[in-house]
Amino acid sequence: MSAVGSWFALTALLYAASSCFYLAMLLRGAAVVGRYSRGVLAFAAASHAAFLLQSGGPWGTIHSALSLLSLGVALAFVVFARRPSVEMLGAFLTPLILVFFLGSGLQQGVGQVSDEVRSVLLPVHITVNVLGFVAFALAFGAALGYVLQERLLRRRRLTGVFERLPSLDALDALGLRAVVIGFPLLTLGIVTGAFWAARLRPGVPLISPAQAFAVISWVLFAVVLLTRVSVGWRGRRAAIGTIMGFVCALAVLVGYMVRA
Amino acid sequence: MTDLTVVGLSHHTAPLALRERLSVSTSQVERELKTLMAANGPFGDAQVGESLLLSTCNRVEIYAEGPDAGATIRSAREYFRTRVPEVAGLYEHRGAEAARHAFRVASSLDSMVIGEPQILGQMKDAVDAARRAGTLGTFLDRCFTRAFAVAKKVRTETRIASGAVSIPSIACELARKIFGDVRGRRALLVGAGEMGEQAAERFAQLGARLTVMNRSGERAATLAQKVGGEHRGFEHLPTELTNADVVLTSTSSDRFVLTSALMKGVVRSRRRRPLFVIDIAVPRNVDPRVGGFDNVFLYDVDDLDQVAADNLAVRREEAVAAEAIVETEVMAFESWKRSLSLAPTIVALRNRFSDVVRAELERTMERLGGLNDRDRVALERMSDAMVNKLLHQPLSELKRGAGGDGDRQLIEAARRLFALDEAREHNDASLEEPRSAQLAAQGKRK
Repeated sequence: MSAVGSWFALTALLYAASSCFYLAMLLRGAAVVGRYSRGVLAFAAASHAAFLLQSGGPWGTIHSALSLLSLGVALAFVVFARRPSVEMLGAFLTPLILVFFLGSGLQQGVGQVSDEVRSVLLPVHITVNVLGFVAFALAFGAALGYVLQERLLRRRRLTGVFERLPSLDALDALGLRAVVIGFPLLTLGIVTGAFWAARLRPGVPLISPAQAFAVISWVLFAVVLLTRVSVGWRGRRAAIGTIMGFVCALAVLVGYMVRA
Repeated sequence: MTDLTVVGLSHHTAPLALRERLSVSTSQVERELKTLMAANGPFGDAQVGESLLLSTCNRVEIYAEGPDAGATIRSAREYFRTRVPEVAGLYEHRGAEAARHAFRVASSLDSMVIGEPQILGQMKDAVDAARRAGTLGTFLDRCFTRAFAVAKKVRTETRIASGAVSIPSIACELARKIFGDVRGRRALLVGAGEMGEQAAERFAQLGARLTVMNRSGERAATLAQKVGGEHRGFEHLPTELTNADVVLTSTSSDRFVLTSALMKGVVRSRRRRPLFVIDIAVPRNVDPRVGGFDNVFLYDVDDLDQVAADNLAVRREEAVAAEAIVETEVMAFESWKRSLSLAPTIVALRNRFSDVVRAELERTMERLGGLNDRDRVALERMSDAMVNKLLHQPLSELKRGAGGDGDRQLIEAARRLFALDEAREHNDASLEEPRSAQLAAQGKRK
């Protein structure tokens, strides 16, 4: 196996291990494993960075964006989710990171951007979208936690997972903060994408299925934010809106992957 | 043979009516111990060396250490009988059994509510009282220091104290799971049933701002004053519901006080901020449909009882693991106790001295070099003679102790002066001191 291949395998293995650790922590309250889960995720991120440096591109493909995205979520989680209860959200996020990372390796080198498509806008477009996606992934983790936690509270299932997840208030606040950060980035991402596409292919309709999903996702997140301000929709409704928004954003990624 | 004993009664063996007659208030414990230990007191005759009195609402127990365990137990029983002639339900333990009992009590394995935290504080108070009374010596001090360490270990390594089991604490735990922190949140108590009052007080203790509302304004005012909250008239109910984060209802009304219609308006006017409603009243004060509203979480008495039962079941499961921890610690304590007897101390002291002398001798002989066998033997004999002579006086002093058992304090002193336990720990894995204790001991030595 080449050096690059080894780094890829090691990173995938570490991400898989951290997923198992976080899941064991949430589902079984495995304290011993829990102590290492964060460290394993940090190692996975480091190994991922080493892999990216070794592979040396190509940048600007949907696969590299996916890879950067999984690294971004891993880093953001290691840095920001320090409280033990918030750390439990790793059980939702690390499997997502693993899937993204594996997805990025599916067709390494395929779907490279042709020279005519290259533009100054491309790095901007990718950066804001990746950052926005990282924020939405965190919001998604918090929203999933909220929906689960609320369900357990209403069904009076108060031992086990319920004890380990953060409070509803903390999950709601975390989700809101992440959406507030992600929303302008997504907006910028859509605008740069549309502008670039219009320049590249004048006369061709702007809306492809992938782009349609991007717009739906934008609308959903806008609704989440607006209804909170106007009529005080929060908690479960906001969480469900966030989950739907994130799923649409995922559809955009899948759309690009299929096209690539 | 001298040993640890415990005689007493608890909620397992005696009714409250008897326990309260025997209980000794915290301020009286010291005096009671002095009376017990006085030359003409019950323990004076049995030559008891150390004693401790633990008195809580659930148990009254006397821990003691004396040369004759049988006599100590008889005296302790006599003491209880003098206080209440018809006393029944007394239990007794000696040796390892007594240590196990102390460790189990400290770890709250013997409590009415398994895992409740108060017993540890009460035990610490009992140790302090015994220390002030001068009835706490090496033996009991060690026993209870270990008991506290066991309790801590049990609490951190098992989930014995997990999940609240009383209605007020369950309500607070749930509020924490909804709001993160209760501090600064607004709690509203509607009605003044006893359980509602207790829960409201608990919220106030945790830093919630409390408002009390009752048909009888006077009672509301008294309670509000007691917990540092404010009281409002019933006409302010909708406004207060809009402002509250937690609502406790405990009125004696036989109709819903928080009706579905009222709460619909409230939810709207509070812009769907989460609301935790705890209905402690029977019959219920809150329309169950309210529990289906967005961001309103409704728990009634049955729900809370169910939570309590679930949490207790978890604690009972955890108690198995806790018992295993206790067992290990009892063995360690017994091992320490054995080390306090004379024979092992003499052996350890001899080994300690001859190890040091032999090692030095080896080094010197190596440096000198060219010694023949005769010289070597002579030097070794000389070193042995030195060890024997140096140890003669200390060893005969140790042996002179009472009853052939040796003087425990002297033995303990010798072990500490020559760090015999440390040497033993290196050799003997069965006496495993927790790492923290070793570190503490090292810290002290520094």
